[in-house]
Amino acid sequence: MSEQPIDREAMFDLVAAYALGVLPAAEAAPVAAFILADADAREEYNALRATANLVGTIAEEPVDSARSARMKERLMAHVRSDATAGARTRRPAPSSTVRSSAVWGTALAAAAAVVFALVSVIQNFTLSSELAEAQRKATVLQAEASAARQSAESAQRMLADVSSPDAQRFSVAYGTVIRRGSHVYLALTSLPPVARGHVYEAWTLAKGAKTVAPSVTFTPSGNGLTLVPLPEDADHLAAVALTVELEGGSKVPTTKPAFVQPLS
Amino acid sequence: MERVRTRDVDAFEQLYDGYHRLVFGIALRMTSDATMAEDITQSVFLKLWSAPDAFRDGNFSAWISRVTRNRVLDLLRSRANKPAGEIPADLPAELSLDDDVFARIDAERVRLALAALSEEQRTLIELGFFAGVTHEEIARRTGIPLGTIKTRIRTGLRRMRESLVEAVSQ
Repeated sequence: MSEQPIDREAMFDLVAAYALGVLPAAEAAPVAAFILADADAREEYNALRATANLVGTIAEEPVDSARSARMKERLMAHVRSDATAGARTRRPAPSSTVRSSAVWGTALAAAAAVVFALVSVIQNFTLSSELAEAQRKATVLQAEASAARQSAESAQRMLADVSSPDAQRFSVAYGTVIRRGSHVYLALTSLPPVARGHVYEAWTLAKGAKTVAPSVTFTPSGNGLTLVPLPEDADHLAAVALTVELEGGSKVPTTKPAFVQPLS
Repeated sequence: MERVRTRDVDAFEQLYDGYHRLVFGIALRMTSDATMAEDITQSVFLKLWSAPDAFRDGNFSAWISRVTRNRVLDLLRSRANKPAGEIPADLPAELSLDDDVFARIDAERVRLALAALSEEQRTLIELGFFAGVTHEEIARRTGIPLGTIKTRIRTGLRRMRESLVEAVSQ
């Protein structure tokens, strides 16, 4: 029987969503870590992924003969050419991208003319306050898009790290410490809630150091799994540890560690 | 697939003849754009030709369905200039017992298994696979609470799996 049946059931719901491919990237990394850390979750994921993949097989559509012939001709021309050359096509380029330099020259000249015309028109306008406001909004939107992109890339990197077969995994109290390259994560699957006014605090011991340094503070996620990336470079660390501290964190550990895990 | 791995063009052509309607169908269903579906079909089969070892074992139709879905999602993201990873990649493939058991399952069996689900479960699973959106977006589109969606997807997939295992064992 699980210690936290409700949280565990919720995690298995997320495993199913991940198997179907509907989980957003931000939620996927901790679920992937859970799947890798929990044998039952892994079995469920593999079974449901195999089932979900079959859903696509119902979508077969008749293709009209002209389209079918065109598609096949285009594909097989590339394949035969590749086979004749005797080289594996590592990164095949769509045939539609093959154009003569004359066509490109014409297109570039046309594009240059359009750009020149646009510049001429814009120069005829005084920069109005509306335009300035639009530019300000565009700048804000660009910043938001950039932040969203960085967040998504970060989540994707975490997912790649925690699910990588070459990651090192260390079993600790409440979960797993995962190290891949210079990145280190705490993937904690059964972390008890902390008392009001308290947080969990991660600690790192640098190679050659005699005392630990404070890393990040956090509280359990509430969905059964907490994935915490540590900002320190794992290459410079000898060990990581976890304690409960007062909100805001401590400069030195003040409680008995939940675990102290060497990284080698 | 063994012959395709040896760069056998005729074998590849047969593979294309057998599966291009499936790849095209998934791409069309996901994009509602025949020209885009055509490009995606081309792209999926070129990828298969250039990296035939990507398919290891199991149900080829299911595997190429997932490859096609992922390709469509990549393309839709790049065209919408959305950050990569809105829906993440799968975990590294780990062949499970079900991959082997389901190797002989055909589309008709899958249709029957889907038909055996409740309408709510079937709709969510098909929407999840073919719409290429997150469960939050499904909740927004359907008006069903997110928690209910997650539970229905799980119970639906499990029930579907049971039907398929039963069909295989008969």
